[in-house]
Amino acid sequence: MSKPLPAASGHFRRSYADEFRLIETRFARIWATVFTLCLLAFPFLASPFYVDLATQVFLTSIGALALMLLTGIAGQISLGHAGLIAAGAFTAGILFKEFSLPFWVTVPAAAVTGALLGLIFGLPSLRLRGLYLAVSTFALHFVVVYLGGEYETRRGFSTGILVDPPKIFGWEIYAPRTWYLVLLAAAGIALLVCINLMRARSGRAWRAIHSNETVAEALGIGIARYKLLAFVISSSMTAVAGALFAYYRGFVSIEAFSMYLTIQYVAMIIIGGMGSLLGAILGATFVTLFPYLIEGLMSALPGADRLAGSVFAVNYAAFGIVMILFLVFEPQGLVGIWRRLRDYFQLWPFRYRPVGTKS
Amino acid sequence: MQLVVNILVLASIYALIACGYVLIYRVSRVLNLAHGELMMLGAYLLVATASGLSNSPVAALLLALALSLVVGGMVYLFLMRRMTGEMVLAAVLTTVALGILLRGLILLIWSASPRHPRDMLGWENPVFTLPGDARISLYAGLLIVSTVVVYGALFLFLRFGRWGMRMRAAGQNPLLAAQRGIRLHAVFALAWGLSTFTGATAGMLIALDSGLDSTMVMIGLKAFPAALVGGLDSLAGALIGALIIAAAEVGVIRFIDPLLADVVPFLVLIVMLVVRPWGLFGTREELDRV
Amino acid sequence: MKFKSMIAGIAVVYAAPAAMAQDTIKIGLTGALTGPVAGTYAPAVEGLRLYLDGVNAAGGIGGRSVELILQDDGAEPSRAAANSKRFLTQDGVVVMINASLSSTYAPAIAEAKRAGVPLIFSASACPPEVFPPADPNLFCTTGFGPKYDSQAALAFIEATDGTDVQIGFQAMAIPVSRGEIDYAETLAGEMGMTPVAKEITPPPAPDYSPFASNIENAGAEWVWSWAPWVAQVKTFEALRRLGWEGDYVLYSHLEAEGELERIKDAGLYAIGANAMFSEGLPVMEEIASATEAAGSSYEANQMTEGWIAGMVIEAALSAAEDPGDAASVRDALSSVSVDTEGLRGGPLEWTEDNHFRTVQSYRVYRWNTDSGQIETVRDWTSYDVQ
Repeated sequence: MSKPLPAASGHFRRSYADEFRLIETRFARIWATVFTLCLLAFPFLASPFYVDLATQVFLTSIGALALMLLTGIAGQISLGHAGLIAAGAFTAGILFKEFSLPFWVTVPAAAVTGALLGLIFGLPSLRLRGLYLAVSTFALHFVVVYLGGEYETRRGFSTGILVDPPKIFGWEIYAPRTWYLVLLAAAGIALLVCINLMRARSGRAWRAIHSNETVAEALGIGIARYKLLAFVISSSMTAVAGALFAYYRGFVSIEAFSMYLTIQYVAMIIIGGMGSLLGAILGATFVTLFPYLIEGLMSALPGADRLAGSVFAVNYAAFGIVMILFLVFEPQGLVGIWRRLRDYFQLWPFRYRPVGTKS
Repeated sequence: MQLVVNILVLASIYALIACGYVLIYRVSRVLNLAHGELMMLGAYLLVATASGLSNSPVAALLLALALSLVVGGMVYLFLMRRMTGEMVLAAVLTTVALGILLRGLILLIWSASPRHPRDMLGWENPVFTLPGDARISLYAGLLIVSTVVVYGALFLFLRFGRWGMRMRAAGQNPLLAAQRGIRLHAVFALAWGLSTFTGATAGMLIALDSGLDSTMVMIGLKAFPAALVGGLDSLAGALIGALIIAAAEVGVIRFIDPLLADVVPFLVLIVMLVVRPWGLFGTREELDRV
Repeated sequence: MKFKSMIAGIAVVYAAPAAMAQDTIKIGLTGALTGPVAGTYAPAVEGLRLYLDGVNAAGGIGGRSVELILQDDGAEPSRAAANSKRFLTQDGVVVMINASLSSTYAPAIAEAKRAGVPLIFSASACPPEVFPPADPNLFCTTGFGPKYDSQAALAFIEATDGTDVQIGFQAMAIPVSRGEIDYAETLAGEMGMTPVAKEITPPPAPDYSPFASNIENAGAEWVWSWAPWVAQVKTFEALRRLGWEGDYVLYSHLEAEGELERIKDAGLYAIGANAMFSEGLPVMEEIASATEAAGSSYEANQMTEGWIAGMVIEAALSAAEDPGDAASVRDALSSVSVDTEGLRGGPLEWTEDNHFRTVQSYRVYRWNTDSGQIETVRDWTSYDVQ
């Protein structure tokens, strides 16, 4: 499959190796470096509260990328995302609490649990499509939550399992800045994994399945295999995000994984823009920061005291409205807006891309 | 005997709610995940009319019911109409977003504290003793009665009514129906209106029987397995599905472990999805259409 | 990607550290101020706020005013974690307060322990860590006393009807409630009562009758219910609809006073550690007038918990050598003794290894159908906390 050429003029791929490069032009390289430096410098400039916000964004980005892979790219709708995050968090929590296993064992264990659950969540997809698949994953969510609740009650951890900060090479990860860097790295790795999966055979297979299953099968793509692969990879990434959540927040408790969490993740990939990894990150950023934004706006309004009691309700309502607005008026999501902006500046003074090029 | 009454009451709750899922799915292939919220909104409308018209309770109830019909139609005309022709997934997600919006609005307007519309209307909730020493409260009984009435009326309406026939036609083949001069938007709006109306009926009766707070949405969600087990495009299926789910739930509470009550509907759902995904009375071809 | 760096840029600009006023003592509260369960927690927070406003109006603590930083968590554990982190790393609070659902305890505890800042639970059930031997950082002012609540309730049933009774239990399907009711069931067995039914209802049940039928079929004469208010009351009302004529004891949450009056049933007993406002004590008048002056939207009789938390905080800050230092406040909290002026059955005292209280007292109320008023069925009964 040919990758679209970068937007720089006069750039051509001259060798086979050029096709494989992640970043192709000097312009892109400079920007990537500047951006990375900004990200690295951020925790040393901002207040701990903003560092915590940014860290949350990284954490949710991992989950959003995983869901994007499954739903946005492979086209398999899942409403069991919160259940998978819960499964990862509980795996880490239980292994820590019962066997006091270290960080570097529990996180891979969470990945394995996620992969197994992905297989189970994915099995219905061999038979069911669309809504029915969504419903079956939705039902599994309830099962996972029920099991987690049983564990908490039976073992007497009625207010949740406390998880100590992880230690890597005898070095404890606790300070907000350390967590920022760790989760930045984790999100970066997740992004790289996703980009590479997309560039490989698997990515092409998933997009083919998404577009038209029958045609994909006629092209010789093993539908069952790739569907399950999508579920397994996405679920194990999600479970790792869950385990990291447990360590970052220092606790696991079943109430943290409600149906609303699933809806938030689905909203991330819609608002970000279906089928785009950048969209997943933009969506995760937007949805994570949105409630703080609303809160900030409401406290800036006159008569903030009287409004204080309704912050939650306003948050809910505003979130619903934003989702509706995106679905109705901007189905391409934030990525669509971003692409239009970019095109506007790139093509100026012209308005349309030349026929045959892809944005 | 009490066991049977409990099953029947729960089944009527599920059936009344489930028929809303079916009505909309049948005509437009959209799964309305905001149904729980719309049902709760209906119950809160009763709270609103009850506080306005506290001296004529019957008028308050009728007004609330009429309002719920209108609200359902408006939801279609102002929101869901824009989603016709889009991907089904996008439409379903729009209903999810609508649900979140409604939840926020309801909290904003009525706050989270429990309401008791029956006290506001000044009505009693007498309890009747049935043969076999089973007991049933007035509003629980009314739930069963209204289920029978609603399903009977819907059956007659869809079978013989002019608009009912149009609804069936639109569900079977929208293109052909439109070409025969059926106004699809009017039909869809009617389906949304009726669906909200029946859901709101359930919501109001539950609120009259045992009070109302914002956790009612979850009840709407639990009725969904009933619709799916019966077959998402079959009204008779919804009725049977509701009975099955209610019997399973009440049976588990009675004989096994009340703790499982919340999971059982979804376990039945999973079994059904494995064995017969299109439901007991659903049409098989539906599977590929979504 | 540029979008994100833009956000980062904006964030940096606005992240200028809040000017640290030297003369205020900062207290951080994370609570369910809004959201579906806010009705249970927001009044308590309001009570605390009114009390501290009063303290500040009277000149503060040694000339320094107390700043209560309120952060909403909507009963979501993740938000509670973020709020706690913020209090500790950014605001530099000397005391943290949690006024939210028990699911938010774990993250708050984790942060407080780590930072060595005292954490007070002021609105919901006390976690096991505050009972002897107590965690040095955790304190609890609320009337809820896990295990003691069940002991008191069962003792009340024993005193009224003896131990030859068939008793049913009701809990909600959340870990805290189930844990308490499991304990109560064992205890009832040890006391010689016959536990006949234990119903655990899901958070929202469409119809409570199936659960109530089980209790009725089992022939329960008494029921002890320890759950969030709605679950307790709806199970009771379903039982009455089934024609059950037994007696029902439930935990007296802050809604209790209004609800007893709504239900008007002489067989419904509310047991709890807080006095009801029908008594009209001077301190209650004080709360009521503060509520009215502030134009608060909550009933004064729901603010007891917050008011008591305020009393404790004032006492601890006044006694602390340096009220601006968390460790010093923590030491003061560990030896606090507060006269509750009749809001509770006795003073609230903490010691080095007991951060619940040394003596917990319970009162039982019900609606008297003849006089049309709430009456005290059993006056303060005290339990030594060991």
